[in-house]
Amino acid sequence: MVRLEKKGFADFIRSLAADFAVYAPVTANGKSGFKVIESAEDIDATCLVTDRSPKEVFFPHSEVLFEYDREGVREVEQPAKPIAVWGLRGCDSRGLRLLDMVFGSARQMPENEMFQDPYWKRKYDHSLVFGLACNEPRSTCFCNWLGGDPHGGDGSDVFVVDAGDAFLMEPRTDKGRAFIEKASGLNKASGKDEKKAAQLADAARKMMNPPGELDGLDARLKAVFNEDIWDELAAKCVNCGACAFVCPTCHCFDVQDEGKGGKGKRIRIWDSCMFPIFTMEASGHNPRKLSRDRFRQRFMHKFSYFVDNYGESLCTGCGRCIIACPVNVDIREVVRGVLSYEDKGAR
Amino acid sequence: MVNELREKVRKLLADGDVELVIGWEKGSRALAATPAFIESPEDADRLIFDATCGNNPAVYFTKDARRLAKSGRKVGIVVKGCDARSLSLYLAERQAKRENIVIIGVPCRGVLDRNKVADAAGGREVLEYSEEDGKITVRGKDLDLTLDAEDVLSNSCLTCVYPDAREYDIFIGEARDRQDGKDQNAALDEFEKLSPGERWEKMTEVYSRCIRCYACRNVCPSCYCNECFVDQNDPQWVGKTPEITDTMIFHIIRNLHVAGRCVECGACERACPMGLELLLLNRKAAREVEERFGYVTGMDSGEKPAMADFREDEKQDFIMG
Repeated sequence: MVRLEKKGFADFIRSLAADFAVYAPVTANGKSGFKVIESAEDIDATCLVTDRSPKEVFFPHSEVLFEYDREGVREVEQPAKPIAVWGLRGCDSRGLRLLDMVFGSARQMPENEMFQDPYWKRKYDHSLVFGLACNEPRSTCFCNWLGGDPHGGDGSDVFVVDAGDAFLMEPRTDKGRAFIEKASGLNKASGKDEKKAAQLADAARKMMNPPGELDGLDARLKAVFNEDIWDELAAKCVNCGACAFVCPTCHCFDVQDEGKGGKGKRIRIWDSCMFPIFTMEASGHNPRKLSRDRFRQRFMHKFSYFVDNYGESLCTGCGRCIIACPVNVDIREVVRGVLSYEDKGAR
Repeated sequence: MVNELREKVRKLLADGDVELVIGWEKGSRALAATPAFIESPEDADRLIFDATCGNNPAVYFTKDARRLAKSGRKVGIVVKGCDARSLSLYLAERQAKRENIVIIGVPCRGVLDRNKVADAAGGREVLEYSEEDGKITVRGKDLDLTLDAEDVLSNSCLTCVYPDAREYDIFIGEARDRQDGKDQNAALDEFEKLSPGERWEKMTEVYSRCIRCYACRNVCPSCYCNECFVDQNDPQWVGKTPEITDTMIFHIIRNLHVAGRCVECGACERACPMGLELLLLNRKAAREVEERFGYVTGMDSGEKPAMADFREDEKQDFIMG
């Protein structure tokens, strides 16, 4: 563990920015998200979970894959600098790790060579992820339901604890270690620092609501797929895409060509299973015709299909969907509803 | 008030007058009540009504290609003034049958703009909410704040002159008619003073922050096309990226499509996860419709909607020059 004095933070970010495009939480017009920063002053240090998720740093809302005209196809030029992300909470750094299973499979799961997405990999593989511990989790935080920890740092290259007057940093990957060895302005942390970090971690864990029990959720979801419970759970959902678009792990996308006069571009755009057109077939048939069928898909994907494919849930407990949902659909209540339906069935 | 509401709803369900009542119940977050679907008399006690009840429940009649409206089920619905106007619009547009709806009006003192409350709380999370006599109190860790409700109400409520239902079957308390004396359109007056270029600039700035999640459209009772034009892909009318031209086409066409149909409930603004000022253009359209056609949306379910009616004496300067 190393220690960076807060008074040295501006210099730290300045030197980081010399080698990286640095993304960090920035608040504008009352809403926060990860943006490229010029200096440490741009960072909103009061942010716990940003309104917009950091997935857009590596998987933007819309991304031009290539451009074309009558002469041929051209790749879009990439920024020269690799990306560093500062201030990722555990739910978000884990979110990136989960997305990397989908888009960059080689790095995490060498046996899964189904697909590697070059647009993701060219950004994420060269990135440096600074996780930041949550000292004060909120009531909507539930990473502990999913095996997360406010001081866990899952998916970080360097895990950072804000200890008041200093940041305490711990490398978690080879990339992180290489960075820490090279970085200036860092001192070895003392035993007192380590103790302080442990105290903050304990306090944060105590601040969290007790975790809900998720054992058997995958099997229950599969078992109740055709049950009326979905009508009940989905009754208030209006099928907008707010949940999917603020989610750090929802990654379904659409591909569109935008062209005119012999030239154009191919674009990848966020999509959402909540939208009716998401599964609309060319014949006009829609296998997920009703609101509740689309609602169900989001939870099946998160807690069943993704578990089948990758061995983990595709939810990190950040709570953004709970905050953004205009009708207060709470993912925790949906999960509880599915699990307690088992009880009703057993009676 | 809430006890009377629960009592009335319990009786409606127990007597078999309705099969379902849509209202609000306490949500999982302090500032967000959540739509409630009550089907048995004993569940009536879940109902609440206060300034956290910001959704417009009329939307559930037309959700899912008007599944509920077409079902023929008898439904009770708890409504604020604006929500009742949406029902009147549905009746005028023949999207619901009057005999299938029991309208239960509740006295509305305005609903919260959660972004305004969050600003006032300065980043501290609100864990408890209570209200009394035009004051609201929010509490949380290191937070105990009492605010004038007026300071944190939705913009739509600050300019609302019809707080209570005008058409109803049951009213909890006494329904108030038009409430004048509010500065009805201050923000709109300011907007109208701007030059066309300045207006364009302002709306460009607002819409540039849109993430195209369509929460505004989907919570809007007036937006009930079976297939929205942005979801059509043969032909595709509009690009899907958050690029500003396409985003503006979405918002402006939606705005024009709800002109003379928007009840200014503000559900769109409250739903927006990016906190965009979405009601402004809708209010502008509503003012145009009122000035030209003398029509205010949702006042009378027997009146033909402005865009479905023609009168010889109506103002035609937009055609004649």
